[in-house]
Amino acid sequence: MDGKFAKISPFQVDPDKIPQNFDLNEEDFMPAEEAEKASMVEKHKSVSYWKDAWRRFRKNTVSMVALAIFLVCLLFAFLGPKLIPYSYGDQYRSSQKLGPMEYSENEQTALSIADSCDGFFATSLQPGSMNAIKKGDYYVQHGGKTYAFTLKKAVEKSILILKADAEPALFVVKEKDIKDGQYEKIQELELTDTPVEGAKEIKLVKTVFPHVFGTDSAGRDIMARTMYGARVSILIGIVAALIVLVIGSIYGAISGLAGGAVDFVMMRIVELIYSIPEVLIVLLLQVVLKDPLQAWFDSGTSAFAQAMGDLGSGIVSIFITFALLYWVTMARIVRGQVLQLKKQEYVTAATALGASNGRIIRRHLLPNCVGALVITTCLQIPSAIFLESFLSFLGLGVSAPMASLGSLCSDALETISLYPYRLVFPGVILTVIVLTLNLVGDGLRDALDPRLKK
Amino acid sequence: MTGYIIKRIIVAILTLLVIMTVTFLLMNAIPGSPFLTEKSTPEMIARANAKYGLDKPLYVQLWNYIKSYLKGDLGTSLKMQEGTPVSTIIFHQGKFELSLKLGLYALLLAVVLGIPLGCIAAYNRGTWIDGFLRVVTTVGVAIPTFVLATLLLVTFAVKLQWLPTVSGSLTTWKAYVMPVISLSFYYLCYVAKLTRTSMLDAINQDYIRTARAKGVKTRSVILKHALRNSLIPVITYLGPVMAGIITGSFVVESTFSIPGLGKYFVQSVLNRDYPVIMATTVVLSALVIIMNLVVDIAYKIVDPRITLTSKEA
Amino acid sequence: MEENRKLLEVKDLKVSFFTPAGEVKAVNGISYSLGYNEVMGIVGESGSGKSVEAYSIIGLLQSPGKVTGGSILFEGENVLEYDAEKMRQFRGNKVSMIFQNPMTCLNPVYTIGNQLMEALTCHDKSISKEQAKARAIQMLELVGINNAAKRVDQYPHEFSGGMRQRAMIAMALICEPKLLIADEPTTALDVTIQAQILELMKDLQKKENTSIIFITHNLGVVAEICDRVSVMYAGHIVEQGLVQDIFYRPQHPYTKGLIASTPRLDEEDQERLVPIEGTPIDLLNPPKGCNFGPRCKNCMKICLREKPPYADLGEGHISACWLHFMKQKSGKTALAGKENAANE
Repeated sequence: MDGKFAKISPFQVDPDKIPQNFDLNEEDFMPAEEAEKASMVEKHKSVSYWKDAWRRFRKNTVSMVALAIFLVCLLFAFLGPKLIPYSYGDQYRSSQKLGPMEYSENEQTALSIADSCDGFFATSLQPGSMNAIKKGDYYVQHGGKTYAFTLKKAVEKSILILKADAEPALFVVKEKDIKDGQYEKIQELELTDTPVEGAKEIKLVKTVFPHVFGTDSAGRDIMARTMYGARVSILIGIVAALIVLVIGSIYGAISGLAGGAVDFVMMRIVELIYSIPEVLIVLLLQVVLKDPLQAWFDSGTSAFAQAMGDLGSGIVSIFITFALLYWVTMARIVRGQVLQLKKQEYVTAATALGASNGRIIRRHLLPNCVGALVITTCLQIPSAIFLESFLSFLGLGVSAPMASLGSLCSDALETISLYPYRLVFPGVILTVIVLTLNLVGDGLRDALDPRLKK
Repeated sequence: MTGYIIKRIIVAILTLLVIMTVTFLLMNAIPGSPFLTEKSTPEMIARANAKYGLDKPLYVQLWNYIKSYLKGDLGTSLKMQEGTPVSTIIFHQGKFELSLKLGLYALLLAVVLGIPLGCIAAYNRGTWIDGFLRVVTTVGVAIPTFVLATLLLVTFAVKLQWLPTVSGSLTTWKAYVMPVISLSFYYLCYVAKLTRTSMLDAINQDYIRTARAKGVKTRSVILKHALRNSLIPVITYLGPVMAGIITGSFVVESTFSIPGLGKYFVQSVLNRDYPVIMATTVVLSALVIIMNLVVDIAYKIVDPRITLTSKEA
Repeated sequence: MEENRKLLEVKDLKVSFFTPAGEVKAVNGISYSLGYNEVMGIVGESGSGKSVEAYSIIGLLQSPGKVTGGSILFEGENVLEYDAEKMRQFRGNKVSMIFQNPMTCLNPVYTIGNQLMEALTCHDKSISKEQAKARAIQMLELVGINNAAKRVDQYPHEFSGGMRQRAMIAMALICEPKLLIADEPTTALDVTIQAQILELMKDLQKKENTSIIFITHNLGVVAEICDRVSVMYAGHIVEQGLVQDIFYRPQHPYTKGLIASTPRLDEEDQERLVPIEGTPIDLLNPPKGCNFGPRCKNCMKICLREKPPYADLGEGHISACWLHFMKQKSGKTALAGKENAANE
């Protein structure tokens, strides 16, 4: 033992004092290097507020799942209409009152021959009044080739079938006639590079896209309408929330920053609006605004008026309603934040350190306010969607031919005992959108407001 | 306390005056005349206008409304039940009573079921009970009243035929079941969520630690110390609940064919029966305002820190 | 005889918090004992595990905190083995606790009297309401609250901070517990009020013969009231001894640093305050060697590799530092080698 500690520098180690279970030598008692000391301390990476918030949000499984489902809803509403061959307004004469995934008789006929041909075009499956192909020139593109033909007489309620083997030919079938896959040829097709001037294209299909959610009494595809309705509802929600955000924050910020008498008066106004049962006024407003707005749209003087006209008076008056009545909560929150931040010690400290007002607002007020604004706006969207659907349900919101999830539910009401799924689909989508937005909002609150975390 | 209540009543009256003015201006902004029908001639409309004082300047009309309301006279219906005093329509034809009953039962259900459910969830935090209740309440606040009401109607009245499709004047208990549930479900879920959150919040407070350190039983810690504190935000929420229940009653009354005030209000707006619109708005607003006042006084009982003096605010 | 019997013996207590980020060993094997009628100070900076350790004695450890090892013997019984009901009866009755922030520790919606009486009635069902109230008033008088008969019916918000802490003390002592754990009871109070509360606690300790564990980061408070002191750093007790030993003959570099960084008015030569460099370690990733090593001026290679064992410095004065295992040089303690190290 002694030999180990012969060279004694700079400390004197007393080997007798060292507990038996340690096997040490003198080297161990040399002063440690700074670098060694530093390596023992785990470096804490400082993360920015947003990164940290995102990290917290990501960890929140429920909110992440909700966000994913909401994104799926967004795809459904915005990308979906491009993926299905039906549009929200088109009426398919042969396909009224179909249940989910059901095919009409004509569609079944078309499907039954789909295997035996290269493609078909069923007049009765086309939207609206187009139940016949008129006389005239047409062309079909198939397999990289263009075929032209001239119809000498109109073909009604029939299925045009293309067979492009040795002799490309067009067959026609009366839907009722098909029994055992026999159908008559009506015309040879002519292979061509450029169809004649004014020829119309006929698009052949190999299959009939199912009416996933069924169709309504007018033969409109409910899935297409639901997609469209979801889009309208989501847009209304977002725009209304933005309107509330802008008006509320400006009002609240002015009130909070001004203080004194201005604040007092502004807050009494808020309280007053707050204690008015809004929905009574909203209902009145909806009725009141309908005609004047229509008149304004019709005058069509500005691009703005026309854009609004495209939306329809129902939606615009919903926006006006939000702009008039629903900003008070946001104004209160913003004012509260501003007041709170005004007297925060770190703001005082920053002022004392000579930070400029701009810097204080940028560095201290904004980041602290933004959390509350984002959360409130996010939670405002579902409440706007709720209000819109409520008004549409009462027949006051969007008007035909537009659709929102609320108006779809309202439409379904007449036939509810026979076709409950017509309410269920838009109702479920509405619920899912509101639910996921609520959950995302909750997740944002947890992520953006660490103070609320235990 | 008395001073505070008097102050609140004055504010309430002022609010009602503002609501009257706004309503008056709005309903006069509805284009056309209440007397405009296919057969009516301009002379007939002018005569009708003169009869009901609609030819006078707006401010005179408004002043007449306010004067008669102060006397307790709500005017007479122009159209829907022509010539009948509005007060009779609202109060003596069972409309107000129906809506009030429906609303109060819904409110009661939301509170009586919502608060205990919230407590149960908070008490069993992290267990399957909590998980289940969280799923139900989270979904509950995302289902619009009309969807729920219609689905209940289809399931229990049309398919299963357990309950009547038309609730009518709510003469049997069966008639109450679906309207009350659909009206209160959203608020029930919201109250349960709110109670759970504020309960958990309260449980993390220092005074709960103190109570536990004293050796107070867990049940007593929850029921005595945490519950009362966590009720404060729930009480705050009851004001908006009342307003919301009135809103919901528009839908529920029409879905279940209940001839209540909510349904009548929507009809009166569509029919432009000015005195009826005005009276319904004022009555429903008064209901909400009274509820808010009750809530503020209930505050004082639960939280001794709040002093209701007239100096305040 | 009485001297040898211990009221409380904590042996190798380990407490961990199981956070999503990993296990945080908040208390990592501490041992000490407390005699009857003794006041023990536990000193350390924030996060050193001093409060966690106290909470585990009284069974108030909240999830995700968990005792992972060791034992806590109270009058010979291991309180860690108590079931929930026994623990409840133990709390407040045998051991009670007062907390840092008197502003938030009293339930705002019940009167002071109600909360005092509750402490009594939840351990003794037989006591009548009148008796309980009389006792509450008596306790309020004892802690120096004037007009106690009227005050007893007031709500916490009608009390000032100092008065609330007095009420908390009254509530803690109402069942005549044998041990009072005071978790930073004066930290949130004004300096003048602090002194009053300390004076009151000293008085009451003598009157009621209660042992006290006094948790604080304020060395001045420790000197005022304690008999013995444990200095905690990062979940370990680094030095323990009689109050005068710790103050006048501190041995552990951390204790020395702590004392050097505390302003003192009683010393004639007003030395400069010397802060301890660096920040406390991350308990999620504690160093392999001495926890204080990375901040220690005398840090040696061994310190970064092995945890130092306790060195017995006599009279119950122990300290965990490798420096104590070196030969004494010309009458000075080993630690005097510090200057050498610094010059080297």
